[in-house]
Amino acid sequence: MAAGADRSPRRPGPPLRALLATLLALPTLAAAALLDFSADERRQIASFGPWPVPVAADPSNRVSGKAEAIALGARLFFDARLSPIGYIACVTCHQPDRSWTDAKARAHGLADLPRNTPALANLRLARWYGWGGGADSLWMASLRPLLDAREFDSNAAAVARVYRRDPDLACRYRRAFGEAAVGRDADRETVLVNSAKALAAFQETLVTGRTPFDEFRDALARGDAASAGRYPLAAQQGLRLFIGRGQCIACHNGPNFSNGEFADVGVPYFIAPGRVDAGRHADLQALRASPYNRLGRHSDDRAGARATRQAALEPRHWGEFKVPSLRNVAVTAPYMHNGSLPTLRDVLRHYATLDEGRIHASRRPLLRALHLTEDEADALLAFLESLTDAQGAERPRPPSPPPCVP
Amino acid sequence: MTLGPAALAAALCPALLPVAALGCTPPLQGRGVQAVEGRGFVVAWRAPAPLPLAEFFSLDFAACARDGRPFDTPRIDATMPEHGHGMNYRPRVESLGGGRFRASGLLLHMPGRWQLSVSLGSGVRGETLHAPLTVD
Repeated sequence: MAAGADRSPRRPGPPLRALLATLLALPTLAAAALLDFSADERRQIASFGPWPVPVAADPSNRVSGKAEAIALGARLFFDARLSPIGYIACVTCHQPDRSWTDAKARAHGLADLPRNTPALANLRLARWYGWGGGADSLWMASLRPLLDAREFDSNAAAVARVYRRDPDLACRYRRAFGEAAVGRDADRETVLVNSAKALAAFQETLVTGRTPFDEFRDALARGDAASAGRYPLAAQQGLRLFIGRGQCIACHNGPNFSNGEFADVGVPYFIAPGRVDAGRHADLQALRASPYNRLGRHSDDRAGARATRQAALEPRHWGEFKVPSLRNVAVTAPYMHNGSLPTLRDVLRHYATLDEGRIHASRRPLLRALHLTEDEADALLAFLESLTDAQGAERPRPPSPPPCVP
Repeated sequence: MTLGPAALAAALCPALLPVAALGCTPPLQGRGVQAVEGRGFVVAWRAPAPLPLAEFFSLDFAACARDGRPFDTPRIDATMPEHGHGMNYRPRVESLGGGRFRASGLLLHMPGRWQLSVSLGSGVRGETLHAPLTVD
């Protein structure tokens, strides 16, 4: 057909040529959506991964990573009988459908507490636990609320009673620790601490998954500009601010976006008129005085308690609080140690308008008011939201285990 | 007068020198070793490369006294002079014998410029030597 011959596919007409050109250009267009990150910026971005980070068992907890202890801990976590009053459980404040926190500004157990309930995730990566680092292990952090009169107001006798009245739980304890929780030979103090170690073993399993940022970071690291270019431009711009002018990376560094230490970021530490929360300064002293720290007889690795042994108490620690991880930060509102900032935008506003004179700093202050424009705040928000994994705030509950067979 | 590269470097940074150029020789040499020279002591060290950020690390170092007299185990610290703060931990120094030491429990919790400080001797003989450390 002559007409057909005139439309030879070897030479496409203008509309088809335009379409083909567009299709051929797609990878280029995607790559063009990648900011021109410098070598130094790329190095800094690479330092936020890879994710997930392989973790070892906690040497201070001999049942860390042990399946039987994880199963026992999962049961205990949801068990309100651990509180003598019968209605406070770990899950009361650490709720799986709220990122293992409670969405309240400040925690409330049997009474009001001055600090925000931290989300439970990636805890094996931490060196200190609690906003003031008042615990040097996850099992100590799990024990503290049990004994705190404002939270569980529990004790060793009350915890031992739970095992006495629940054969399934007693069976699980025996399988986890190889000894009985009840009976003449059972030492109540040991049962109490072991219960906290089982709770810790369970909480160590609460991890966050890969995020859009992780996909971007890995693509950039392997030189895959097309894949990296799929990461939203606003998030890239926010990331550039995060590692650049914002200097957020000074504290929020490494794959868990936290240096694991403490900082004063200008959040007021007044609890009530005349009452302050001294943060790290008070909590390190309390930790040292506690029989449950990693140097004490309940620790399974006293020789390795380097951080506890060598932690320095300095005046500058007064009013410092732990640098939180930013993984899944968008689904863990409200924010700061006292939950005083309801949204991430409020947090950015805090840093944008920081009162530099309020912060303890000699010489050049690290924190300066960022004076963010709305576009810059939007970009930082886009970046922070890209640190959210697919499950978001809805974390899976541990499955109900089959009955324990002695 | 024209200065050669080594002399120029020494003039610009008189305290930080190659080990071979020092008054006494600390018993630590080889690849990656840096040294700092003071009034009465010389210290050489080998830091991990790159320096870890927000993770504990150990530092091997050696010291010698110009007067040849013995000295106690040195103390070691690190600060961020620009920000006026130090580490959150007190490193421990153990003597390995023969003027060699190992400092453990150092943790540099922020990226940027740090200053390593090694304090040696006591009384009129005492001095603290400083050297830069950079954490990327």
